[in-house]
Amino acid sequence: MTTDASPALQVDDLVVAYGRVQAVRGVSFTVPSGGLVALVGANGAGKSSILNALAGLVRPRSGSVRFGGRDVTRRPAHELVAAGLVQVPEGREVLATMTVDENLRLGAWHRRSDADERIDEMYGRFPVLAERRALQAGALSGGEQQMLAIARALVAGPSVLLMDEPSMGLAPKIVDEVFAVIAEIQAAGTTVVLVEQNARRALRAATYGYVLESGTVAHEGPADDLLADRRVIQAYLGIE
Amino acid sequence: MQQIVNGVFTGSIYALFAIGFTLVFGILHRLNLAHSAVFAAGAFIGIELAENAGMPIWLAIPSVLVAGGVLGLVIERLAFRPLGGRHDAHFAGLISSIAVGAMFLALLQARYGPDTRRFAPDTFPQHRYDVLGVSVSLLQLTVVAVSLVLMVGLSVLVARSRLGRAMRAVAENPHAARVLGINVDRVTAATFALSSALGAVAGVLFALSVNSAQLSMGFNIELKGLAVIIVGGMGSLKGAMVGGLALGLIEVFAVTQIGSSWRDVIAFGLLIAILLVRPQGLFGSRKVREV
Ligand SMILES: Nc1ncnc2c1ncn2[C@@H]1O[C@H](COP(=O)(O)OP(=O)(O)OP(=O)(O)O)[C@@H](O)[C@H]1O
Ligand SMILES: [Mg+2]
Repeated sequence: MTTDASPALQVDDLVVAYGRVQAVRGVSFTVPSGGLVALVGANGAGKSSILNALAGLVRPRSGSVRFGGRDVTRRPAHELVAAGLVQVPEGREVLATMTVDENLRLGAWHRRSDADERIDEMYGRFPVLAERRALQAGALSGGEQQMLAIARALVAGPSVLLMDEPSMGLAPKIVDEVFAVIAEIQAAGTTVVLVEQNARRALRAATYGYVLESGTVAHEGPADDLLADRRVIQAYLGIE
Repeated sequence: MQQIVNGVFTGSIYALFAIGFTLVFGILHRLNLAHSAVFAAGAFIGIELAENAGMPIWLAIPSVLVAGGVLGLVIERLAFRPLGGRHDAHFAGLISSIAVGAMFLALLQARYGPDTRRFAPDTFPQHRYDVLGVSVSLLQLTVVAVSLVLMVGLSVLVARSRLGRAMRAVAENPHAARVLGINVDRVTAATFALSSALGAVAGVLFALSVNSAQLSMGFNIELKGLAVIIVGGMGSLKGAMVGGLALGLIEVFAVTQIGSSWRDVIAFGLLIAILLVRPQGLFGSRKVREV
């Protein structure tokens, strides 16, 4: 990476509010291209609000978002997905009454020419989805649904993937699988922003981390430093 | 047998009207009460094109389809989109669609006046065929064929096409559709356009079949259409098709067997009876809306 390359994401003084409730109060952070940045924090800290603002699903009240050097603040989600900024939403949001295959085809909405190849690639990568391709997504287990949600985002061909609590509600063994997939995604060159309540796990996977507290950044630093920071351990990680 | 033919003929127009009506409900969970005004507008536009612009009828019908689509876009823009963010958007859209429908009718009245309009007598060739002792007119065949082609076409589009897949995604979970990068506003507009295109063609086919068009022609069919889509299962395309055809058949039998003044009593009585047995409608499911 050249020194003058713009970061994958540059967020400045982001404010997100729902009516009079300010969920995000002036958050700034940078995601280097190819990096894996973790945003951790307790329930209601504003993690999803930040991701939704980045993804164009919520209009921020103020602040700016730059994606690959371009100002994309308040651009609609469909433009951002087409440009390669794609979210794996909290709670997976698979289309339960549609088949696995249809879910993947919808993920490839903006890939008209190479949709088939990309979907086949996902079937190769997630054999369980290939086996279940004709089943309704609602019939899959939680872990399978999470894999579908990730595969569905990957067929869009993201350069930056925003992942909101991908380990939520999954058995420990499946959580391991999810984190293995996240590591693969990053290794393949995709930039990842990972939101997790499972802070220790997320920081272990990440290169850099931000700890959020009621809508502001309370701590930030290289993930290893945060994992060793006594204040962070006491407030967020607990004794292992 | 003759009655079955006549029932299918009327029923296919009911079904075509109802399928567009139920499409918007099934995908967007909105009732568009301007649908009956589109039905009337389709008839008047068809007569205008055939009589004043001298268009042959086989060209006028597809033109009405396109014009109906445009009306659908107008309805979405005026009656639904501005109110979309409200928490009472269902109810607000219902009311504002009545208003937009009234505006359409007012515009029609401003241009054509309050009188009944008709096609010229030679608009449609008057062929009749005898099939197994049943007399069928070319007009009847055409109306049934056009309705069936459009209804089957719509069902295939929803079930198989890229747009149809997006429509079903929006129906199930608009937020998930947005996350996937689907332009939900555009899918919504396309849904209204398709719905109104079919509603307008139903109007011109109805006007051809009775050779008249009145401003009030939509009111009666609006109630029937509503009954049909409730009985068919709200949002179910198949239900609207079967329900519309069934209503046409029931009406014809009621008129010929019992007497024309009993038509609505029998038809609506039977519809209520079906709902008592199957409250979710023939093809409706209680949990997930079938599209
Ligand atoms: N759509 C909304 N309308 C009103 N308030 C909201 C909305 N979404 C979130 N909030 C509020 O904003 C604050 C931040 O919520 P957010 O979902 O961003 O937090 P989070 O860190 O993702 O929490 P969790 O770990 O539970 O997912 C919370 O107080 C929440 O109640
Ligand atoms: Mg959240």
